[in-house]
Amino acid sequence: MKYKLDSGQGGNTPRPKLTLRAGIDRLAPLMPGEQKSVIVSLLAILVSSLASLTAPVLIAGAVDTYIRHKDTHGLERAALQVLGVYLWGVVASYVQVRTMGSAGRRLLFRLRNALFTKLQQLPVAFFNQNKAGDLISRLNNDTDKLNQFVAQALMQFMGSAFMITGAGIFLLSLNTRLGAAALVPAVIVLAITRMTSAWVKGRNVKSLQGLGGMSSEIQESLNNFKVIVAFNRVDYFRRKFEAANEVNYNASTAAGFANNIFMPLYGLSATLAQLIVIAYGIRLINAGQISLGLLVGFLMYVNSFYMPLRQLASVWSSFQMGLAALDRISDVLSLESDMSVTTGETLESTAVLSFRNVHFAYPDSKDILRNVSFDLEKGKAYALVGPTGGGKTTTASLMARLYDPTAGSVFLNGRDIRSWKPEERAQKIGFILQDPFLFSGSVRDNIVYGNPELQDYSSAQLAEVLEQANLTSLMERFSEGLDTRVATSGNSISLGQKQLIAFIRATLRKPELLILDEATANIDTVTEQLLEEILAKLPEYTTKVIIAHRLNTIDNVDQIFFVNSGEITEAGSMEHAVDMLLHGKRDS
Amino acid sequence: MELSEPQTPPKTKRGRPAGAPGPAGLFLLLKPYKGLILLLLALTVAGNGLNLVVPRLIARAIDGFRRPGFDLTNTVIQFALLAAVVFILTYFQALVQTYASERVAKDLRAKLVAKISVQSFAFVEQITPAKMLTNLTSDVDAVKLFISQAIASIISSVFLIFGASILLLTINWRLGLSILGIIPVIGLTLALVLSRVRKLFKLGQETVDWLNRVISESILGASLIRILHTQNIEFEKFSNANEQSKQIGLSILRLFAGLIPIITFATNLATVVILLLGGHFVITGSMTLGEFAAFNSYLAILIFPIMILGFMSNVIAQASASFARLGAILTAPDQKPALNLLTMLRGDFAIDNVSLAFGDKEALKNVSISAKAGTTTAIIGPTAAGKTQLLYLLIGLLEPSAGTVTYDGQPLVSYEKEALHRQIGIVFQDSVLFNLTLRENIAFSNTASDTDIEKAINAAELRDFIDTLPQGLDTVVSERGNSLSGGQKQRVMLARALTLNPKVLLLDDFTARVDSSTERKILANVHAEYPGITLISVTQKIASVEDYDQIILLMEGEILDSGTHRHLMETSPEYVQIYDSQRSTSVYEVQA
Repeated sequence: MKYKLDSGQGGNTPRPKLTLRAGIDRLAPLMPGEQKSVIVSLLAILVSSLASLTAPVLIAGAVDTYIRHKDTHGLERAALQVLGVYLWGVVASYVQVRTMGSAGRRLLFRLRNALFTKLQQLPVAFFNQNKAGDLISRLNNDTDKLNQFVAQALMQFMGSAFMITGAGIFLLSLNTRLGAAALVPAVIVLAITRMTSAWVKGRNVKSLQGLGGMSSEIQESLNNFKVIVAFNRVDYFRRKFEAANEVNYNASTAAGFANNIFMPLYGLSATLAQLIVIAYGIRLINAGQISLGLLVGFLMYVNSFYMPLRQLASVWSSFQMGLAALDRISDVLSLESDMSVTTGETLESTAVLSFRNVHFAYPDSKDILRNVSFDLEKGKAYALVGPTGGGKTTTASLMARLYDPTAGSVFLNGRDIRSWKPEERAQKIGFILQDPFLFSGSVRDNIVYGNPELQDYSSAQLAEVLEQANLTSLMERFSEGLDTRVATSGNSISLGQKQLIAFIRATLRKPELLILDEATANIDTVTEQLLEEILAKLPEYTTKVIIAHRLNTIDNVDQIFFVNSGEITEAGSMEHAVDMLLHGKRDS
Repeated sequence: MELSEPQTPPKTKRGRPAGAPGPAGLFLLLKPYKGLILLLLALTVAGNGLNLVVPRLIARAIDGFRRPGFDLTNTVIQFALLAAVVFILTYFQALVQTYASERVAKDLRAKLVAKISVQSFAFVEQITPAKMLTNLTSDVDAVKLFISQAIASIISSVFLIFGASILLLTINWRLGLSILGIIPVIGLTLALVLSRVRKLFKLGQETVDWLNRVISESILGASLIRILHTQNIEFEKFSNANEQSKQIGLSILRLFAGLIPIITFATNLATVVILLLGGHFVITGSMTLGEFAAFNSYLAILIFPIMILGFMSNVIAQASASFARLGAILTAPDQKPALNLLTMLRGDFAIDNVSLAFGDKEALKNVSISAKAGTTTAIIGPTAAGKTQLLYLLIGLLEPSAGTVTYDGQPLVSYEKEALHRQIGIVFQDSVLFNLTLRENIAFSNTASDTDIEKAINAAELRDFIDTLPQGLDTVVSERGNSLSGGQKQRVMLARALTLNPKVLLLDDFTARVDSSTERKILANVHAEYPGITLISVTQKIASVEDYDQIILLMEGEILDSGTHRHLMETSPEYVQIYDSQRSTSVYEVQA
C-alpha cells in the first residue's frame, strides 16, 4: 500500500546510477518498431556527417591543387563536387530530422499512454498518497523533456559523436603529434563532463520536482478556488504559491547554472586547441616537418572536431534533463499494484457478500476494522449506521475492492473477491460514492458512463430506458434534461443533482449488490422518497447496502449493522440502532 | 535585422500596453529587466566580438610567421589572453542568461497568480483550472526558453551576421556581396514558416489543456473509475487528446524539418561560391591565400548564427504563441475599486428582488429575503431549487443579474472584500480540504489565534476526534481530504468558518453528513459560544430548523412561501408535504 512517489520533500530512496546505456535500455521497450527509424536516422546522420567531413577535404584539396596551380577548370570541377556533397548532406539531414522528430513524437505519445495506463492500473490508495498536480506534471512536462531529448538531442548527440570520432582520426592520421596535441583540451573537458554528470542530473531532477510541486500547488488551489475566495485567503494562496514558485525558481536556476557551464568550457577548449595547433604547427613547419597547406587544412579539421564538440555541449543539458525526466517517469512506471487478481479460496455460503475475519488499516494509521465477519444475503437490504469516522465508508470500500483487507478475506458469491476479474466484479457491484464524481460533458454522458449497453442509444431509446426504470421524474431536476451541461468543478449543478446522476448511473447498471454511501444526503426528502420507491422496484435479486445518517432512509431494511471502533455488530431493531448511536461507545 | 522583423512589427510595439499579448508583448515583457538584458547583451556581444578576432590572429600567424621579426611567443600570449577573456565573458553570459530567464519566469508567474487571485470565482471557472495550469507551467516555460536560449542567440547572431558581413566586405567586397545574397532568401523562408507554425503551437498548447483536464478528472474520479472498471474509457479519452497532440507535433515537425535543410543549403551555396569566386580571385592575384583562409573562417562565423536563427525560430514561434495565451489573464481587469466600507457588521442582511441567470437559464427569480442580526433563517426546497446559489450570492461568489444584496443596509459590493469575508463564514456543501495540517485547514491563515481555533474546534465537536490523532492538530490531511470521513470533513469545514468569529454564518446542507445527535450538540454550541450570530441555513431537514425565526420555501428559483414553522404548517401544502416526507425520521428524533 506504499505508493508514495518521491516528489522532493525528503524520503528519497537511493536509485541505481543511471547511465546512458541503462537509459537507452529503458527507453527501448517504449520504442517498438522504431529500430527502422533509428537505423535510417543513423545512416542519414552518417551521410550528413561524411558530407560535412568530406567538403572541407575537397575544399582544402582544391586550394592546394587547383588554386595554387591556377587551374580554373579544375577549380570549377571541384566546386561542383563540393556542391554535390553538400546536397547529399542536406537531404540526409532532412531525412534525419524528420525521422527522429517523428520517432520522438511517437515516443512521447507512447510514453504518455503508458503512464496514463499505469495510473489507471494503480489502486485508489495511490491517489491518496500522491498529489494530482505532480502526477500531471510527470505526464505532461517530464515526458516532453524526454521527447525533446529524443527528437532533437539524441541524433545530434550521435552525429556529433560520429563527427568527433571521424575528425579525431583524421587529425591523428594527418599528423600524430600535432593531432594528439590538438586533442588534449577535448580530453580534459570530456573528463570534467564525465565527472560532473551525476551532479548535473541531480540538479535537473530537483528542477523537475520543483515544477511538479508548483503544479500541485496550482492544481489544488485553483480547483478549490471558491473556498479561497469565500474565506478571503487570496493572500494565503499567493504566499503558498510564491513559496512553491521560489522553490521552483531556485531549483531551476541551479539546474540552469549547471547545464550552462559546458558551452563556455567547450568553447574554451576549442580556442585552446587552435592555439596549440598554431603554436606547435609553426614550430613543426619551421622544423620542416609539415607544409603550410597541411597547417591550414589542420586548422579546418580542428574546427570540424571542436564544432560538433560544442554542439555536444549544447545538447548535454537536454540529455541530462531527459535522464532526469526518465527517472521521474520510471518511478511511476515501476510501481506495481498490489491489488492484482489472484486465485483465492472459496466459501461454502449462499451469501452474496461475506466478510471473514477482516482487518483493515490505512498505511501509518490505527486499525479501522478489527476481525470483522458478516454475511449479506441475496435480495435483502442492509443498513450500516454509526458515528462519523466509525468505518462505514471503509467497510463499503472493501466490499467494492477499492482496498484489500490487511488480513482476512471478503467473498463475493462465495469466491474471494481478489479472484474476480475487475470487469466481472464491476458488473456485479454498484457503489454510489459519498462524494459523487461527474466528468465534464452532459448529463447523458455521465448517465451512460461505463455502460456499454446504453452507450450508443439514441435520446429516445435512453428516455425509454429511464422510463422503464421509473427514473424519468428525476430528469425534471435538470433544466435541459439529458443535454444539461456538467463541469467537474464549478457550480453549474448542485451536489444534490450530482447525487441524482450518480443514483441513475448506478441503478441503470442493475447490479447484484448496490451500495449507497450517503448517496442521497443532499437530496430533498420528497425526491428521496421517490428514490426509495425506485430502489424498491429494483429486481428482487438486488442486495442493497445503505449508509445513512438520516434514519428514515433505512426504515425498511432487513438488517442494521452498527459500525464503530473497528467492530461491526448487528442491531436487533431500529430502536436498538438508535440507542447504540446515542449511548454506545463513540470513537470518532 | 530583417530576420527578426516578423516578431517586432513597429506598429504594435507602440500601440500596446506593457505586457500585452502578441509577439511584441514578449519584448515589452522584458522592459523591467532592461539592465539585466543589457548586461546579457553586452556580455554576448563582447564574447562574440572577441571570437571574431580569433581568425584574424590565425591569419596573421599563418601569413606572418615566415617574415622576419615574427614573435610566436607574443602571438601565443595574445591568443591565450583572448581565450581566457572569451571564456570568462561567455561563462558570465551563461550565468546572466539563466538568472534572467528564471527571474522573468518567476516574476511572470507571480504576476499571473496576482491577477488570478483578485479575479472572481466565475473567472477561474470560465478559463478553467486546467488551462491555468498550462498557463502557469508550460506556457511560462516557453517564454522562459525564449529568454534563456533565443534572446541572446538572436541578438548575438544578428551581431555576428553584421560583423562577419562587414569583415567579409572589407576583405573583398565583391565576394562579400555575393555571399550576403543568401540572407534575404533565408529571412523570407523563416517568415513564411513562422506565421504558419505559430498557429500550430497555439493548437498544441490547447491540447495540453485538454490532457490536463482528462488526467485531472481521471485522478479526481479514481474511485468511480475503479468501481465501474472503466479504465479503458478513460484511456480512450486520454488517447484522443494524446493523438491530437501527436498530430500537431508532427505537423510542426514537418515544417521545421523542411526549414533547416533550406537554410543549410543556402549557406552551403555560399561556401561553394567562395571556393569558386575566391579561388578565381586568388588565381588572378587579387586576393592572398591568407585572405582566402580568413574569408573561409569568417564564412564559418556567418553560417553559424544563420543556422542558430533557423533553430531559434522554433523557440520564438512557441514563445509568442504561449505568451498570447497568457493574454486572457494578463489583460483581466484588476479588482473592482470597492467603496471600501470597513465597518463592523451588525449582521442584518437583505436580498432585494434578486434574479440570477446563467445565459438564458434563470436560476433565481425575484427573490427577496431579509433578516435582522442575530436571527435564524432556514432555506428549504427541492434539489436544484437554487438554494446554494442564494448562499453564493450572500457571500459574493456570484453576482446577481438583477437586484441587490445588502448587509446592514449597505450593498455588498460597497464593502471591502477582505472585511466582509472576515465577518461572514460559510460551510460549503462539498468538503474542500487542502493537503495541509488540520490546524492550517481550520485556521487557513497564520492570523487566527489559538483561542479562536480552540473555541471553533470545541464548537464543531472535533475535540474528541483530534485527541485520537497521534499528531493532533498537526496531522497532515491528504489532498482532497481523502484520509477523513465525510462527517469529519464537514466539521472541519465548520470549524474553519467559526474560527473567523463570524457575524453571519452560512450553512449549506451542513446537516447532511453529520448524525442528528452531533448536529444538535453543534448547533447548541454555536448558539452558546457565538451569541448574536446571524444564521442562514440551507437544509433538507425540517426537524432541525423548526424553531427558526423564518423558513423560506424555495422552488425552481422562486420563493413559494416563507414564515415560521407553525405558519407554514398552516398555510403551505408544499411545506406540509416535505414535513410529512420526514415524519418517520421525526419519530426517532423525538425519542432521542
